[in-house]
Amino acid sequence: MTKQIQDAYIVAATRTPVGKVRGALRNVRPDDMLAHVIRNVMARAPGLDPQLIGDVVVGCAMPEAEQGMNVARIGLLLAGLPQSVPGMTINRFCSSGVQAVALAADRIRLGEADVMIAAGTETMSMMPTMMGNKISLNPAVFEHDENVGIAYGMGLTAEKVAAQWQVSREDQDAFAVASHRKACAAIAAGKFQAEISPYTVRDHVPDFRSGAVKVVERVMENDEGPRPDSSMEGLAKLRPVFAAKGSVTAGNASQMSDGAGAVLLVSEKILKQFNLKPIARFRGFAVAGVPPEIMGIGPIEAIPRVLKQAGVKQDEVDWIELNEAFAAQALAVMRTLELDPQKVNPLGGAIALGHPLGATGAIRTATVMAAMQRGEAKYGMVTMCIGTGMGAAGLFERV
Amino acid sequence: MSNFIVRKVAVLGAGVMGAQIAAHCANANVPVVLFDLPAKEGDPNGVVRKALDGLKKLEPTPFAAKDRVNYIDAANYDSGLEQLRGCDLIIEAIAEKMEWKHDLYKKVAPFVAEHAIFASNTSGLSINALSEALPAALRGRFCGIHFFNPPRYMQLVEVIPCKASAAPMLDALETFLTTTLGKGVVRALDTPNFVANRVGVFSMLAVMHHTARLGLGFDLVDALTGPAIGRPKSATYRTADVVGLDTMAHVIGTMQATLPEDPWHTYYAAPAWLTLLIGKGALGQKTRAGIYRKEGKAIHVVDLATQGYRPSAGEVDAEVAAILKIRNPAEKFDKLRAHASPQAQFLWAIFRDIFHYCAFHLDAIAGNARDVDFAMRWGFGWKEGPFETWQAAGWQAIANAVKADIEAGRAMSAAPLPAWVFDGRKGVHGATGSYSASAKSDRPRTTLPVYARQIFPERVLGEAEERGTTVFESEGVRLWHTADDKDVAILSFKSKMNTLGPEVVEGIIEAVARAEREHKGLVIWQMKPPFSVGANLAALAPAIQARDFAALDKAVARFQQMTQALKYAQVPVIAAVNGMALGGGCEIAMHASRAVAALESYFGLVEAGVGLIPAGGGCKEFAVRASDAATRIAGGDVFLLLQPLFQTIAMATTSRSALEARELGFLRESDPVVFNPHEVLHVARQTARALAEAGWRPKLPPRAIKVAGRNGIATLEMMLVNMREGGMISAHDYRVAKGAAAALCGGDVETGTLVNEDWLLAVERHEFVELAKTEKTQQRIAHMLETGKPLRN
Repeated sequence: MTKQIQDAYIVAATRTPVGKVRGALRNVRPDDMLAHVIRNVMARAPGLDPQLIGDVVVGCAMPEAEQGMNVARIGLLLAGLPQSVPGMTINRFCSSGVQAVALAADRIRLGEADVMIAAGTETMSMMPTMMGNKISLNPAVFEHDENVGIAYGMGLTAEKVAAQWQVSREDQDAFAVASHRKACAAIAAGKFQAEISPYTVRDHVPDFRSGAVKVVERVMENDEGPRPDSSMEGLAKLRPVFAAKGSVTAGNASQMSDGAGAVLLVSEKILKQFNLKPIARFRGFAVAGVPPEIMGIGPIEAIPRVLKQAGVKQDEVDWIELNEAFAAQALAVMRTLELDPQKVNPLGGAIALGHPLGATGAIRTATVMAAMQRGEAKYGMVTMCIGTGMGAAGLFERV
Repeated sequence: MSNFIVRKVAVLGAGVMGAQIAAHCANANVPVVLFDLPAKEGDPNGVVRKALDGLKKLEPTPFAAKDRVNYIDAANYDSGLEQLRGCDLIIEAIAEKMEWKHDLYKKVAPFVAEHAIFASNTSGLSINALSEALPAALRGRFCGIHFFNPPRYMQLVEVIPCKASAAPMLDALETFLTTTLGKGVVRALDTPNFVANRVGVFSMLAVMHHTARLGLGFDLVDALTGPAIGRPKSATYRTADVVGLDTMAHVIGTMQATLPEDPWHTYYAAPAWLTLLIGKGALGQKTRAGIYRKEGKAIHVVDLATQGYRPSAGEVDAEVAAILKIRNPAEKFDKLRAHASPQAQFLWAIFRDIFHYCAFHLDAIAGNARDVDFAMRWGFGWKEGPFETWQAAGWQAIANAVKADIEAGRAMSAAPLPAWVFDGRKGVHGATGSYSASAKSDRPRTTLPVYARQIFPERVLGEAEERGTTVFESEGVRLWHTADDKDVAILSFKSKMNTLGPEVVEGIIEAVARAEREHKGLVIWQMKPPFSVGANLAALAPAIQARDFAALDKAVARFQQMTQALKYAQVPVIAAVNGMALGGGCEIAMHASRAVAALESYFGLVEAGVGLIPAGGGCKEFAVRASDAATRIAGGDVFLLLQPLFQTIAMATTSRSALEARELGFLRESDPVVFNPHEVLHVARQTARALAEAGWRPKLPPRAIKVAGRNGIATLEMMLVNMREGGMISAHDYRVAKGAAAALCGGDVETGTLVNEDWLLAVERHEFVELAKTEKTQQRIAHMLETGKPLRN
């Protein structure tokens, strides 16, 4: 990137624990989750004057209903940021979170801001349909064959990838089991503790006996999705969901989830002014389009593109958060780009940890930052495929 | 007890029967507390909760609607007995052990409300003996209440009084069972196994005896004793597998222990092969092996000679099969008796012994012959009861033949037939009622007021059949009324399965016109189910084959005029539905002023099965209802409401009950669901009368129906693309469903366009005709006409 006038540094990143759809976070609003991560990310940069925040960019894949009304602005006000701080909600489906980081970084890199918050929030418990509250497709989609893929459900696109890249059911299931195994091990080893800001869920429930409303409090500290008992035998029993003779099941696809994440980015000037310690430098972001009917291969295009932009070799990247939308597409991407399996999702991926759509990019950025703080990565990447056929990749370098 | 209100029921025992009885009460909007023992660990009501979870998975489903399970509260005998005080009816359904039941009775008696009825679902224990554990004050409110498995579907409930049972209590209970739960009640005497099981189990024992005597295979005997002789498909041995071989042995054991004086006592013993199977743990369906065993896709059956399993076959001799098809029962029995083949001899023998047994025991086991016949129809699914079969075949001829066989030592027992059999009678059912051997006279039907609701009750053979007075009759329909109600005309179809050909369509149009001129209301009702299986495909086929699509369009338009005539009739039109209402039948119900449906009514717009879409106003009516509903919800998005309706049509979904038909959108909230099919006509007539009295005016045709339009079609197509690409539907399924999408969304117009009914009818008619032009739809129609089954192409 030659046009930038200054670097953008990540000084803090945090996230909620990720809840299973209709699980522990089912009644937690997306704006409340967002406010929570904004408050906590700011708390990790003590002394930083919030008045300096240029903008809060929030990714959300279904910005309507509870997530509507420009959820970014509502979330930042609920977080207690000054009213002078603006906020915008952006949407590029599953990459919205990392896209928010890129947009925030770019404001700094252009010299038009010195402090930015990038975040993502998504509650699939409240927005369960992947197509929004009011579903309406353009009839023109069916007028040209090359556009019909727009109408494909994500699962069907994974089936197409599995067929075209010859990813077997066994390989997909094995990948899923490994994801759960890695995630459970990471939780047991406390590897997520640094990045997670535990969430206190307060459910207001009727007590039918007394007639009073009870507030039931529960602190959620860990991700809800990983299953220690995941096994090849168990997964083999699941039926394909999207195709009669298919291989994609609920077990080898990402989980629907609720969660939020936030990343605090600043310029070098701010680092010095507030004596902040940077974790990483933002090195670049790329996005690319692919045929909608095989949307899962998006990272195959996006990863080389961002590496080329940054002048970094693939071998140099030692931590890759590759969103496991489906085992089929993750394996197709890994095999095509010859990604080192040891470097991909060392703590498990979305099949185990969950995938709260537009929040995932911010959440996994927090994971990469934590890995860097542990000294486990020099270059880290967050990458994913995107519905309607795209791929995105963001690159970070430890400082 | 004249106004016995059941606000809440308690069922004691969450076993197979108890839990299903609870489910059926919940179906009928009667809340239930279901009790069982406290769980040894965890939730004290865990036993009941587990049973409720099991109920949700049971097939055929005991629940008539998904939400019904929420109306069953779980309780246990340790901490829940206080809840009994609020129950008006308590049904005990625990294991068949006298001492266990006695212990429970003593425990619960202090909690039974002063007015409550307490009844046992025992299948054979003595009701008088059971009553002894109860305080004297409760005995007057105690009796047996014996349901049959599965209780939602089996019509029979035997009500068995004990000596102290108060008559008004029994009447109140019978009324509740008949109307609220929709059951057929037979009052039984307190003899072992009561009526149905006493005769039914003997019948099975007789079949087992003659199977062994003649060396026949179980599979062959099932082929002989199923639908071929008017009994259920599961026939004898498959029924035993379903009941459970251990349960069978237990029931046989009860008869052995309690009927020592019975002339057939020597046969009240489990055959050696049965004991052997039970010993091996092969108890039938519940252990996945019994008399039959599924091996892969093949069914295997126990071979008596080798005691091992062999592939099931069982073919009836062509000559015997031909005899069984003879319509004249006298001739049929003559020929069976005369035929030398073991199969014919077997059939005669099982009928002979059952006739013999029933005649001999009539005075001891039942109030009259009608009760025996109904018990066997309703409790065992026989098409006709033993006395009906006998009477139809010629009473004296059969009596003499049975007598001759007894005297020749061929019958299972040497006990002579009772004298009344030979008193010159022509049967046991006649104009004055059915014969009671104990009273030595004919007994008319009960005069309990609840039966006044059954205008056409189920009749035994030989009872007079009413047909009413015909007002108008054509090739397709009959319009008529009963003597006591000329105000409300009744329309019945005359076609096979009440299909809707042009002659029926014209008949309906004429009937509506006549009803408007001469009556206060019109009820469409069939003497026998189904209500209607839909349009007569055979009548449509010639126009399609001749590619005369203008004629087809005209026929469909005429059908639409018929349903619109129903909808906009100037007198209330009530569709009184019992059984299947498919395709056009469903559309008639949807267009009627009200539908009154028996619980066991199965609605569906199933045209997709033959490659077509509903075009008798079915799609139009769904579109109108969705638009109506959308105006009442915030946002008013008609598409969200259409989507499930589209799936129902595209998948040709049929409701599994009238309550489910409401969930699927075929029935409206205002359409009453009646639990007893014999009360449907009464309720329909009352509904017609009430609407007429309220000053009936049909709704005005809607002029601003909001449609989902072209965006709606595209969005539904998105769903279809995924199913086609996923290999879940064929290309033609896609084509058909797209036609349905177009019809439901009002065609290729902008989303939110306001249209009228004529527009929607034209769209669905156009889509119907376009589909009829396709080769694949034509193949589907031809296949259905040839085989009666849908073709997937």
